[in-house]
Amino acid sequence: MKRFVKIAACALLFAALAQAQSPSAGAKAGEVWNELKGEKLEALQLKGDATRGAQAFQACQGCHRRGANGTNNGAYPRLAGQHATVLIEQITDIRAGRRINPKMAPFADEHVLTTQEIADIAVYLQALPIQYALDDKGAGKALDRGQALYARDCAGCHGDHGQGQANKFVPLIAGQHYGYVLRALATIRDEKRGNANPDMVTAIHSYGKEDLEVVADYISRLTLP
Amino acid sequence: MAKNVKLLCCAVLLLALLWCRAAWASEPVPAIVEKVCSTCHGMDGNSVIPTIPKLAGRHPDYLFKELSDFVSGKRTSEVMGAIAPTIELGELRKISAYFGAQKSTSEAITDPIAAALGEQIFLNGDEARGLPACGGCHEDDGSGGKRFPRLAGQHRAYLIEQLHKFRTGVHLYPGARFMREVAKRMTEEEIRAVAEYVSAK
Repeated sequence: MKRFVKIAACALLFAALAQAQSPSAGAKAGEVWNELKGEKLEALQLKGDATRGAQAFQACQGCHRRGANGTNNGAYPRLAGQHATVLIEQITDIRAGRRINPKMAPFADEHVLTTQEIADIAVYLQALPIQYALDDKGAGKALDRGQALYARDCAGCHGDHGQGQANKFVPLIAGQHYGYVLRALATIRDEKRGNANPDMVTAIHSYGKEDLEVVADYISRLTLP
Repeated sequence: MAKNVKLLCCAVLLLALLWCRAAWASEPVPAIVEKVCSTCHGMDGNSVIPTIPKLAGRHPDYLFKELSDFVSGKRTSEVMGAIAPTIELGELRKISAYFGAQKSTSEAITDPIAAALGEQIFLNGDEARGLPACGGCHEDDGSGGKRFPRLAGQHRAYLIEQLHKFRTGVHLYPGARFMREVAKRMTEEEIRAVAEYVSAK
């Protein structure tokens, strides 16, 4: 069983490396989105340890809370169940300044977390159970429109259930806090996130405020099968 | 019958004596605690001087790490930086284990309104400013652990002084970076409130 997990992890990493190196159509000239190099590559190649990850994650609990389900108003996202690849991508991007997040950046400093601890935290969080926040949704008024937009623009990458794709660094978004999804969508659309996948920027470029709200509402209600 | 009762009494007494002795023997006061540490920190680690930290109930691993950092100079302190390097590592371990096993006392609440604000910040932080909840690392009851110090019962004056030291960059050791950011995000009122709350835990 352990061996199988190792083989599976290797295969996943290999697939991730192969996928992410291909330049994206939407990338800015001379820039490859999510280029796997430096600390990001190093953390992806390290073997994470969930027990050590639980210890290192203590430093994150003041905001993301014990169990890593974030907070209901969406000030802090749920991290529980997120793909390890995505977590490594985001943490290393935040501390390298590629993702713009001044609130979190000082707490992801190399004096707080080592590269190994990033890998440890990633495998720890990936295995945590998702606690869906049943009372943290949008207005629920135009869910059919939210569903239609999701099917047209989001499901191709994030999947029908919002499960994401570990090997392509596409995050799990099922049941993410409404307020957080809404904010993330707006930040990505307005190109203020720093490390957004250019394909996604293109996909939601023409979204108005209501479009963002209904699709965020729909996403916040998704659950994994 | 009476003889049996007498025998039983003797046996119970003997057991009680043995138990007492065992309890006594398991926590001898290390000589250095008696001669050196207790002058400031108190024999049981509950200092009575508000600017000198209580050590009682701090995790032994955390205490040992602090002491080692004073020895290596990673963490600076005029007093501890001079004392810690004169003590052998093995003794530092004994001291850490001893103070870690002592029970911390609590301070009385002097300002209930401040304590209520302090509770709110301690348990939830402030999401709007990205101020983390103290309890995330120090535990919701303030008991701390291997990596983060116990705050429950600590002197208010000491807690406030430490937060000021973090904020103004007096504490510059690498591990202080997290707390420096936290302290910068706290108002003076919040610093006092959190100290009021957790000192009474």
